[in-house]
Amino acid sequence: MTETAERKALTREQLLSAYRIMRAIREFEERVHAEFATGEIPGFVHLYAGEEASAVGVCSNLDDRDTIASTHRGHGHCIAKGVDVGEMMAEIYGRKTGSCHGKGGSMHIADLSKGMLGANGIVGGGPPLICGTALAAKIKGTGGVGVAFFGDGASNQGTTLEAMNLASVWNLPAIFVAENNGYAETTSSTWSVASDNIADRAAGFGMPGVIIDGFDFFAVHEAASEAIARAREGGGPTLLEMKFTRYFGHFEGDQQTYRAGEVEHARAELDCLKRFAARTTETGELTQSDLDAIDAEVAAATDRAVMEAKAAPLPTEADLLTDVYVRY
Amino acid sequence: MGDAIVGVVANPLSGRDIRRLTTRASVFPTAEKANMIQRMLTAFDAVGVHRVLLGTDLGGISASVFRAIGQRRAQDGRWPDVEFLDGQPIRQTAQDTVDAVRRMVTAGARVIVCLGGDGTARVTASAVGDVPMLALSTGTNNAFPAVREATIAGLAAGLVATGAVPADRVVTRAKMLEVRAGDRVETALIDVAVSTQRHVGARAVWDPATLTQLFCAFAEPDVIGLSSILGQLSPVTRHEPRGVTARLAPEAVAQILAPIAPGLVQPVGVRDIEWMRPGSVHPVDARAGVIAVDGERELTFEPGERPAVRLRADGPRCVDVSAVLAESARLGLLRRPSTAPARYQLRESTVRRST
Amino acid sequence: MARTITYREAINEALAQEMERDESVIVMGEDNAGGEGSPGEMDAWGGVLGVTKGLYHRFPGRVLDTPISESAFIGAAIGAATAGMRPVAELMFVDFMGVCFDQIYNQAAKFRYMFGGKAVTPVVIRTMYGAGLRAAAQHSQCLYPLFTHIPGLKVVVPATPYDAKGLLTQAIRDDDPVMFFEHKALYDLAGPVPEEGYALPFGEANVVREGGDVTIVTLGRMVHTSLEAAGQLAGAGVQCEVIDLRTTSPLDEDTVLESVEGTGRLVVVDEAHPRCSMATDISALVARKAFGALRAPIETVTAPHTPVPFSNTLEDLYVPDAQRIANAVKAVAEWTR
Repeated sequence: MTETAERKALTREQLLSAYRIMRAIREFEERVHAEFATGEIPGFVHLYAGEEASAVGVCSNLDDRDTIASTHRGHGHCIAKGVDVGEMMAEIYGRKTGSCHGKGGSMHIADLSKGMLGANGIVGGGPPLICGTALAAKIKGTGGVGVAFFGDGASNQGTTLEAMNLASVWNLPAIFVAENNGYAETTSSTWSVASDNIADRAAGFGMPGVIIDGFDFFAVHEAASEAIARAREGGGPTLLEMKFTRYFGHFEGDQQTYRAGEVEHARAELDCLKRFAARTTETGELTQSDLDAIDAEVAAATDRAVMEAKAAPLPTEADLLTDVYVRY
Repeated sequence: MGDAIVGVVANPLSGRDIRRLTTRASVFPTAEKANMIQRMLTAFDAVGVHRVLLGTDLGGISASVFRAIGQRRAQDGRWPDVEFLDGQPIRQTAQDTVDAVRRMVTAGARVIVCLGGDGTARVTASAVGDVPMLALSTGTNNAFPAVREATIAGLAAGLVATGAVPADRVVTRAKMLEVRAGDRVETALIDVAVSTQRHVGARAVWDPATLTQLFCAFAEPDVIGLSSILGQLSPVTRHEPRGVTARLAPEAVAQILAPIAPGLVQPVGVRDIEWMRPGSVHPVDARAGVIAVDGERELTFEPGERPAVRLRADGPRCVDVSAVLAESARLGLLRRPSTAPARYQLRESTVRRST
Repeated sequence: MARTITYREAINEALAQEMERDESVIVMGEDNAGGEGSPGEMDAWGGVLGVTKGLYHRFPGRVLDTPISESAFIGAAIGAATAGMRPVAELMFVDFMGVCFDQIYNQAAKFRYMFGGKAVTPVVIRTMYGAGLRAAAQHSQCLYPLFTHIPGLKVVVPATPYDAKGLLTQAIRDDDPVMFFEHKALYDLAGPVPEEGYALPFGEANVVREGGDVTIVTLGRMVHTSLEAAGQLAGAGVQCEVIDLRTTSPLDEDTVLESVEGTGRLVVVDEAHPRCSMATDISALVARKAFGALRAPIETVTAPHTPVPFSNTLEDLYVPDAQRIANAVKAVAEWTR
């Protein structure tokens, strides 16, 4: 096989890993959904369930040289980039053992050692930062790329548009992933996005724009693989638009009266995990028992994470004033 | 005979797939598709088509045309009545095109025009039955559709729909390929390619390194796409009653430089070229993989399914735009005053419905 | 070895010496070289007032012109800082902060804290401030109070060429995000500056004039205006102690309090608007922590609560001058209950 053909063929290990990570995200989010309803989790959470194929399809092409920036709906990207699930759960519960020692919360989970620049509470906050990490990779010659995940809401924010322009002007190894789940809070993306598709804006910023079925891991993986290879080789930025839907509300507690039943259809007919399982068992690349074993392991790990988070210590007054500066 | 009806479907999603990234495929704006439809509307009315059925989409094409209809002023000239096919859910998949075409056929459309690439033409062909179709290219993926100015295409479709130009002289049956894998069937208008990739994934095929076998209903030397691999080695025109097939292997002795995708001219190794006769069944060698029809992966197959490909002569009926307009010139259909025999004269409705 | 160079040249020298010393230092901003994509020469400007001239050719690939997209390139500088670079980005006029403030105060300033101490963001954002050049309302503001208010940022306001070079050097070497304020009317000011590289610590104010009667706390261009006033007042027998804050965050409280303990009288001179400014900040600090030492109410001399006017006569009335400062000093010096 040629090198490109090899790149396209996923090994058994890669397939198992993809399923494991997508399942880990799904379990995590479903569990946070359940736990949030008990009132024990402070603040706000924004759940990624339904969108797993995007995070995993893209991040399965990345390594430690690469950086990603995320959104307020960031748990999926964190897990896909290798942030520790136990530390994430502890952070969501505001514990000292959390990824950010309880000082960030759900919307600010980050792990810079894994190239995860953080979930971000500011819509459109990520794309300019990715221009920066991509610039650093380019200047240092690491071959790394930066991936900016953002939503259909952020696709209208000036920061995102400016960042795409800058990435083209500076020819940065950046990939812009527009996760179009159909809603920016309560407003539909078909209403708020003036162009017919977010991908159509790419031409205005000097880069290719591609629409991908965000429920299909294989379609995402393939398109991301091409975009990332192009960026690594100095070919510049790409805009990928994932089309799918989120299974939960904008935030937990959202009554979702602005929706009309598309989640049931998606869970039944379009779900990325179901399709992945059906496909890989059909080809014989994986067996049902492979998948069942992963499901069981992930469920147990998620349980453990919740138990440990609930038992972990809270930060104290001494922690309030630390880490504002490196040295003041 | 009743009022001539023409159906028009346009694919809003054509031109936004991975080929924008992996090849130099064109970015074809929705606004231009809407413009093309408007140019056709003018042409339809000029030759006596006063009823048009238009598929609806969420990609902005039908909305754009709807807006344009509302903004027309008296001095802009006449357009036909446009009926937007509403009332069923838009799934934003190929099924939307299939459903729209079927409704147009049921409603009595005499010609169906589709705007898009090879994929759109293929899907339209699968639903059009015996109604003549006219595939108009929007973009680079155009082995099958005609690359034509829309006004000209509109005149041709209109002249056939009204019967002013008799169909028997200007409408021909295309060939097609039929693939069966187990109990699943897919059809292709141009080519069927067997890929070592395991999954449908991002659909489009642009890398010949992943292909092991190719079947072509036609392979013309001046047409871009996978069929160009055989178009240079053993050309087959659209009209010949045969197809051609071959195995692809990088190490094959016969190497051809083929324009397999926009901006991509690549060496491809070819061997075991054979003709395909209508009806004869050609097995697919590979045990498992994905089959691409007209350049897009569509059909996965597993060991034991043993897919096979057959050339059929009974593909869709297609309007030959050049032939229509040549015939129109010969008959003087567009002369004023008309010199055509009465039965060829363009029909003018005696009752002009308001737009 | 010190020699006399301008404030502009001192900043240029700090950049050049640090870029020489540390290859992770890069410079970016609108027209920081000038000419990108244009048919004529590169380094056409070296910054709108020439501050970065010469760096483009001397450090190939490390001085980047940018499109007019502050939120993108300031954000990019911040992102690059998290990825191991030491970018010095230029926000051409601080008045433009509105279009990129989020990246500065919600991203850069908060990464370290929000991420539990795991982020280091060594970015410097240089920016021009101040009135006096008839640049009018949207190109003349002193907005350092807005940045001083934000935990996680450091704010530096040098008044002299010597301070400009030393404080910029420190800013580049510092591991926290720094806002570096350059008064546009000071660029041509000349002063003694050592040739070698040196860094001045943040949070250390400079007593530029000693005196026992009244303490004047000030910063930036107003340091020079205050010294002018102090000169006049000395003739009238009032000895002023003039303290140049140098950095508003971190703030050298001790030097200020110590001085007021001695004089008992305070005038704060700040070119910024009067509400929520350094003037109010220092006044509140002294009122809280040195109340017992005060022998007169605290007086402030600031711009009025108006946008910066354009016309010569109006702008000259807007910017505090030596006479107004002297009047305020006399008022506190002569105050009795």
